[in-house]
Amino acid sequence: MAELTKKIVSTPNAPITQAEKPKRDAKDIGSKTKHSIVSRRTKGDNIFDAFNTVFMLVFSIVILYPLLNMVAVSFNDGLDALKGGITLVPRVFTLKNYQHVLSQQNMLTAAKVSVLRTVIGTLSATLVTSLLAYILSRKEFLFKKQLSLLYVVTMYVSGGLIPIFLVYKALGMTNSFMVYILPGMVPAFSMLVLRTYMNGLPDSLAESAMMDGAGHLTIFIRIIFPLCMPVVATVALFTAVGQWNSWFDAMLYNRMNSDLTTLQYELMQILNSITSSKQQTAETMKNASATVTPTSVRAAATVVTALPIVILYPFLQRYFVAGLTIGGVKE
Amino acid sequence: MFKDPDFGKKLKNQKALLLLSIPFVVYVLIFCYVPLFGWIMAFQKYKPNLGFTKSQFVGLDNFKFLFRNKDFMLCVRNTLMMGVINLVLGTICPIIFAILLSEFRFNMGKKFVQTVSYLPHFLSMIILTGIVFDVLSMENGTLNKLLMGIGVVDKPIQWLAEPKYFWWIVGFANRWKETGWDSIIYLAAITSINPDLYEAASIDGAGRMRRIWHITLPGLKPTILILLIMNVGNVLNVGFELQYLLGNDLVKSVAQTIDIYVLNYGIGKGNYSIGVAAGIFKSLVSIILVFIANTSAKAMGEESLY
Amino acid sequence: MRRLKRAAAGLMALAMIVGMSACGKTGEKEQKTDTVKTADGKEVEVKVFSAFFAVPGNEVEEGNVVQDKIAEKIGAKCEMEWLVGQTAEEAIGVMIAGGEYPDFVDASSGMKSMVDAGAFIAIDELWDNYPNIKNFYTEAEWNSIRAEDGHIYIIPQFGKTWDHDTTCVHNDEAFWIQTRVLKWAGYPKIETLDEYFDLIERYIEANPTMPDGTPNIGYEILCDDWRYFCLENAPFFLDGYPNDGCCIVDRDTHQAIDYNTTDTAKRYFKKLNEEYKKGIVDQETFTMKYDAYISKLSTGRVCGMVDQHWDFNDAELAIKADGNLDDCTYVPVGITIDKGVEEHWHANPALDVSNGVGITVSCKDPEGAMKFMNDLLDPEILTLRNWGIEGVNYNKGEDGVFTRTEEMRANANEQTYINKNLCPYAYFPNYSNGMDHDGVNGCDANHQATEFYESLNDEIKECFDAYGVKTYVEMLNAAPENEAWYPMWSYSNALTTDTPEGLVWTEMANVKHEYLPKVCIADDFDSAWNEYLTEYKNKCDVDGTLLPAFNKEIQRRIDVAAGK
Repeated sequence: MAELTKKIVSTPNAPITQAEKPKRDAKDIGSKTKHSIVSRRTKGDNIFDAFNTVFMLVFSIVILYPLLNMVAVSFNDGLDALKGGITLVPRVFTLKNYQHVLSQQNMLTAAKVSVLRTVIGTLSATLVTSLLAYILSRKEFLFKKQLSLLYVVTMYVSGGLIPIFLVYKALGMTNSFMVYILPGMVPAFSMLVLRTYMNGLPDSLAESAMMDGAGHLTIFIRIIFPLCMPVVATVALFTAVGQWNSWFDAMLYNRMNSDLTTLQYELMQILNSITSSKQQTAETMKNASATVTPTSVRAAATVVTALPIVILYPFLQRYFVAGLTIGGVKE
Repeated sequence: MFKDPDFGKKLKNQKALLLLSIPFVVYVLIFCYVPLFGWIMAFQKYKPNLGFTKSQFVGLDNFKFLFRNKDFMLCVRNTLMMGVINLVLGTICPIIFAILLSEFRFNMGKKFVQTVSYLPHFLSMIILTGIVFDVLSMENGTLNKLLMGIGVVDKPIQWLAEPKYFWWIVGFANRWKETGWDSIIYLAAITSINPDLYEAASIDGAGRMRRIWHITLPGLKPTILILLIMNVGNVLNVGFELQYLLGNDLVKSVAQTIDIYVLNYGIGKGNYSIGVAAGIFKSLVSIILVFIANTSAKAMGEESLY
Repeated sequence: MRRLKRAAAGLMALAMIVGMSACGKTGEKEQKTDTVKTADGKEVEVKVFSAFFAVPGNEVEEGNVVQDKIAEKIGAKCEMEWLVGQTAEEAIGVMIAGGEYPDFVDASSGMKSMVDAGAFIAIDELWDNYPNIKNFYTEAEWNSIRAEDGHIYIIPQFGKTWDHDTTCVHNDEAFWIQTRVLKWAGYPKIETLDEYFDLIERYIEANPTMPDGTPNIGYEILCDDWRYFCLENAPFFLDGYPNDGCCIVDRDTHQAIDYNTTDTAKRYFKKLNEEYKKGIVDQETFTMKYDAYISKLSTGRVCGMVDQHWDFNDAELAIKADGNLDDCTYVPVGITIDKGVEEHWHANPALDVSNGVGITVSCKDPEGAMKFMNDLLDPEILTLRNWGIEGVNYNKGEDGVFTRTEEMRANANEQTYINKNLCPYAYFPNYSNGMDHDGVNGCDANHQATEFYESLNDEIKECFDAYGVKTYVEMLNAAPENEAWYPMWSYSNALTTDTPEGLVWTEMANVKHEYLPKVCIADDFDSAWNEYLTEYKNKCDVDGTLLPAFNKEIQRRIDVAAGK
């Protein structure tokens, strides 16, 4: 870490452009590292690699098998699946489970709202949270301890369902899209992760810009934020998945407004309606379904939920997989 | 700080920072602190129809009810034990996985394993428990087959009927689901470590293990510490879903958590106040634990939350 | 870079604008309306009511055929929301705190809170113009529904019979046994617990596996959360009492008796313990969740169990769908602890006064809401709700008898089809037992004898013939008239931990959950049983708190029925 700082500080007065950034091409690093490893392999390295490869293999199987099994179940006839014993291929193939999940009338609206809340919610939360993290990473900021504490505490306290509902209602947020965006705008967890990363950046970056007369917003947006891409991507991914998966807010605040329903809430409703529940009378079982079962529909719903993230992930992944992107900060 | 003679001047110098921070103060007050008025319920016999103003005040009765109750204390113990197991496994596993992954030599494989690893995060608890049942089943469970195959046991074990296994089953089920996901943060942090350091170490002839020990781990230290301190505070937040779904009446004495208790005696039975009282208890414990962890970190001159 | 900055500024502005604009919103003041298309293409305007039912349920989709048809006829429809991911108390608690309700609410277990909060309007003040509602129950029945202030706020929807009961399936609890087991033994008469298990033991000994080699399982005990009734409540049935759920009520003294500690209870659990040790009871049974239970039943391996029929219906559907397991479906046997005790497993539909639908104070058009419910009870509309549309969902013969083709039957079981086409308005008052108002048909396809026989497979028919019966219900004793206090579960279900008796009730369930499975698998039954009794007596003041509360309620119900 120290060396890195020194290197960057070496030309303090140059305009803040690509010059001081640890500029390295991903490919470049890859080959260099590989080269040095190849040339200096020790016996320990070999054992390590062998062990690591075996571990990764076993790990993948342990994770993948149940997942693939679930996919198989999602394509299997529900009643047949009840008997168990399905492995990696469906026994009685059917698309009924997916049909059931996707044929709900509100699906289109719900998908639209879900995408919107995920995009808007993630962009705004990531940006706003990063800004707070930046403020709190400024060593000279007098109230950084107090403000940090104020946010840290929020991770462990909650007013409870009813009081929160009343507050949101007073703010006019029931029956509105904002209830998906505002409450989760500044998650303390993300803020702390971002701040930690920013604390690790050399002070000189901001200081030199400050000397050039740049304001905090400029420094934040032009220098710090881009440098934090790996961790910004992490936080964005966490927020996006949270947004995409949440349904409780749709249920609690926008239950009576079908224009604001979300995909996950619709899926919850579908699952709920076919899961037999605590009923005393036969009457309520009248519309019990005979062709799909909770297990099979649940499997299909899970696949539907996870799919967009699975598709999106490779685009973010370049930021996380160490060694592929080291230093690869782009303007 | 306020006694600092330059305080006024410093304040003036950072007008911009102060202005920028005001919305954040207002925001957190409105969205997180105003609703805390609900804590008043813990000191009432809250009835929805009477609301906060008219419900009868009962002082500390709800707390007394909880703490004089042997079952509740049992739940606290179970929650704490599962919380600690979660904390330990949940800290160690993702770090090890992230490091092993970053050291994995095949780029294609690396991307593949990483993608696979986080997928279980999207499974609901009910699907997760389905998988756990399949693995632990007495009749055809993979684990029993494996153990009998290599001759460790001679007849299948009823994993879920034995209280002694329960906490570990919960712990490992959680790990199966979240290790890949949790490791993402560490993977991102590893990218910030200067590659020159590895290069230099390599030239000096340091082996893999030594490079991990002397470069990767120290580079990860701030992130590890921050997450650790945060998670110390979550030790009582082990939830209820997994325990509820995996548990059964035979392991009831170890499977009940605070949240399950609240559902049984509180919300599920129309008694809101008990739930809020238990919530306040959990919050206080969390804050105290975080305070201790944070202070220790600071005392050691390490990264801290505030 | 610049783009990023612009995007950031734009987003912040957007957030602020939306944040501010959200503050100026107000609720709608007028009764909502909508248009539906009639068969001849005209558009008519209808009132749209909203409803929340605090139970899980099926959504009726916009443009649902039957819903629109009903709307066209009565000029109103209702959008229904169901409980998702919360307890009923939670959902209702939030609703009460917020003070805004949909037009109709069935609060389920949150009913008392709703009434206490003054959230319902008094139906009895409005009902003079709505005879279908007013006459839905008898005066005595309405009296038992009245709240403490004498008003009627909710209408229990279920269990109402038109003409006579036509139920064919015993949908309630029983000891069930597979027809293959009875067939193997030559259809013997099974009367006692000992005979029941003796039969299963002999069968398993002679037939350890299914034809495909899978081991047979003698007996399953479902013990998952509230579903543990499959384990715990058989003792009162074995003593010949009906399903009061929480206690035995002595028919002469009208006193509540705790069934958990009776001699019969001890003998029953001792039997389970013996059978567990013999391996007749599945060794995994107590770690099994509902899903796993249904799974095991679905394979046809399980010879018998105690359960409510609706609880294992899915499994039976799976067995029927298989095609090779026709002899693996279940019939109920009415067994008791000793010969000579008259069994009472089957009961008439009960009036559950603890649940019902009400009109809330937020409803802008209470008269319209009353008319809506009244119209839903119109004979023509009832047929639409329960059978669907003639020629589409059923055919009418020359004799007026409704029949369905295979396709119609399949449609009625297809969830996607149901959501788009059928609308039973299940949580509004309905005649859900007995006959259709035409006096010819059953109130729905499940209550239509001809329809019912069509669906039986040969194995069940053979079994029924052997016992000389035609329906599942006839396998058991005919149900006598319900007593005034029946069912007591409608009282115990509504208990909260706010009251001493509610606390005992919750504590009791806790102790039973923890100890009864242990009793069943204990090496030494007697000491396990004693341990259970000691804990039970220590923790739950049943005699001093719970039974007196039950007695009070029994007496209250007797008085109400007598018009006091």
